[in-house]
Amino acid sequence: MSTETQTPAVDRGIVERIRASPFLSQLLSNRLAVAGLAIIALVAALAVYARFTYDLETLLATQFGVNPAEASPTAEYPFGTDGQARDILPRVLYGAWYAVLYGTVTVAASTVLGVGLGIVAAYYGDLTDNVIMRTMDVLLSFPSLLLALALVTIFPDELGLWRAVGALTLVYTPRFARVVRGAALKVLEDEYTDATRALGATDPRLLLRHVLPNCLAPITVQSTLNYGLAIIDIAALSFLGFGASPGEPTWGMMLSNGVEFGLFSGAWWWSFFPGLALALTVLGFNLLGDGMRDALDPRMRETVD
Amino acid sequence: MVSKQFVLKRLLLLFPVLFGVATVVFAILHLSPGDPAVTIAGERASQEFINEVRSDLGLDDPLWQQYLRFLGDVVSLDFGQSYQVQRGTPVGEILANRLPITIELALLGEVAGLLFGLPLGILSAVKQDTWADHLTRIGALSGISVPIYWSGPLLILLFAQVLGLLPTSGRIGSAYFVEATTGFILVDTLLAGNVEAFRSAVTHLALPVVVLGIYQMALISRMMRSSMVEVIRQDYMRTARAKGQGAKITVMKHGLRNAFIPVITVIGIQFGSLLGGAVLTETVFEINGIGTLLVDAISRSDYPVVQATVLVFAVLYTLVNLGVDVTYSILDPRIEQ
Repeated sequence: MSTETQTPAVDRGIVERIRASPFLSQLLSNRLAVAGLAIIALVAALAVYARFTYDLETLLATQFGVNPAEASPTAEYPFGTDGQARDILPRVLYGAWYAVLYGTVTVAASTVLGVGLGIVAAYYGDLTDNVIMRTMDVLLSFPSLLLALALVTIFPDELGLWRAVGALTLVYTPRFARVVRGAALKVLEDEYTDATRALGATDPRLLLRHVLPNCLAPITVQSTLNYGLAIIDIAALSFLGFGASPGEPTWGMMLSNGVEFGLFSGAWWWSFFPGLALALTVLGFNLLGDGMRDALDPRMRETVD
Repeated sequence: MVSKQFVLKRLLLLFPVLFGVATVVFAILHLSPGDPAVTIAGERASQEFINEVRSDLGLDDPLWQQYLRFLGDVVSLDFGQSYQVQRGTPVGEILANRLPITIELALLGEVAGLLFGLPLGILSAVKQDTWADHLTRIGALSGISVPIYWSGPLLILLFAQVLGLLPTSGRIGSAYFVEATTGFILVDTLLAGNVEAFRSAVTHLALPVVVLGIYQMALISRMMRSSMVEVIRQDYMRTARAKGQGAKITVMKHGLRNAFIPVITVIGIQFGSLLGGAVLTETVFEINGIGTLLVDAISRSDYPVVQATVLVFAVLYTLVNLGVDVTYSILDPRIEQ
């Protein structure tokens, strides 16, 4: 009995909160955005499942004698096996873990850096603003993947795929800085900022408690759209040979090996399934990011590079 | 009309940006853990020889001197010689040979993207919320989600290996030799009057252009749709219709011109992704442009080549955006303010 009376109360709370937020209700009425959210949730669940189910050592080791090599997809090996006789399905699932992990770190790091720089530039203005934003402008005048390629070289090889994360963080930071600076400048013009200051709030308090929360919407949209981009760019760097070490079950590495050694000798499944997983995941983030942008402002015309 | 002052101001703004770009390139290479002297001398060279190479290259001079010398070299377009990729060849010469290849590929990709992206975007906007619109939008979103290094190999498998219709790699059959007058293979084969070679080049470039074009098409059709959707609602569109002008003519005459303006900006911004895509496409299809050159040079620590290639990419990107800004101000003179 008690559970029955409690459940609706909780539900109502959520429903009311969604209603109170036009952003959320509009987002959830967008079928494509919800589909994107579902894809992301599925990928995240599979990533965690794979991380705690499979043993990385086993996934890395060759499996000659255990499985047939380059076996086409069957009930036993739904995604087939690769040239090292490794079952591809668990490797693709584990690849989701890498994608989520490296993607999250890249986006989180560039968001934090970009938000920090953007807010400081907007608040202090003058010289600080100029130095920060002109530096960002210079970084933005490189095509992003090419800058990432060049930046990968400043990190030592031992870091593996973390080199790609480091390079892409630096590449994405200016975009966040630009978006946040713009949003923060608008907030700083508002009267409540003056009021807060008149009440004696310190700079850090004003920025963190008042300016930042009012910039959250554009930050969220930018992060979501950059998430898909981060995953696809990390895989691109692996594909070009900068990042993952051979045999590592990342989608980019599996794709690169599969194309090089399997695709044209008949083993299409070797690169097909990692690529499909990658494309679907990126599609999920793009669907959600698009829906968010529409919900926030249908006329907002920012595009991701 | 676009004022001379506006163009002049934009041109002057180029200098600080290019100066910054050169500084970043210098910084990146000096932060890299590798030692160019060891790269040139070889891993097994004696310490004396490595030191000799190092002082020859001026790498033991103070950093600020190296920086100033680098800036001087950039200004005089002297990028030194390749260490590894084409040992001893001036970097400028390598770039001159390979840059047109990338530009041709990128241009063709952009043209393909516009050719298909614009009509699809207009269709999507005019038929807003119908199945045609949904299909185009989902198609466009898929287009930007599918990585080139996946779609490319799969298309090679299908069209080259399974169907045997197109070649797998390169940009012209090995049987043809055409003098590089412009460096653009399609133009060069025509200039030589060699129809067979031209046909070979077309079949070779078809898949790379499609792969690169899909991404651009997706971006352009998305932008065109959202821009056109807004323009269609404007009063002047209703006025034109009220005067008795047909729906099609109104969209094409009044709609297109106004809706196209924001699309141009996107083409400029997205030129960066076009160049990034070209690097991946060149790798997949084994085309020897500056994309594969850069990848090659980075993995073999050929610093002068890396420096020059990254600079060239950044300059290309900046110049295209300058061009876009000027075009934008011609189409919409209000922008200047």
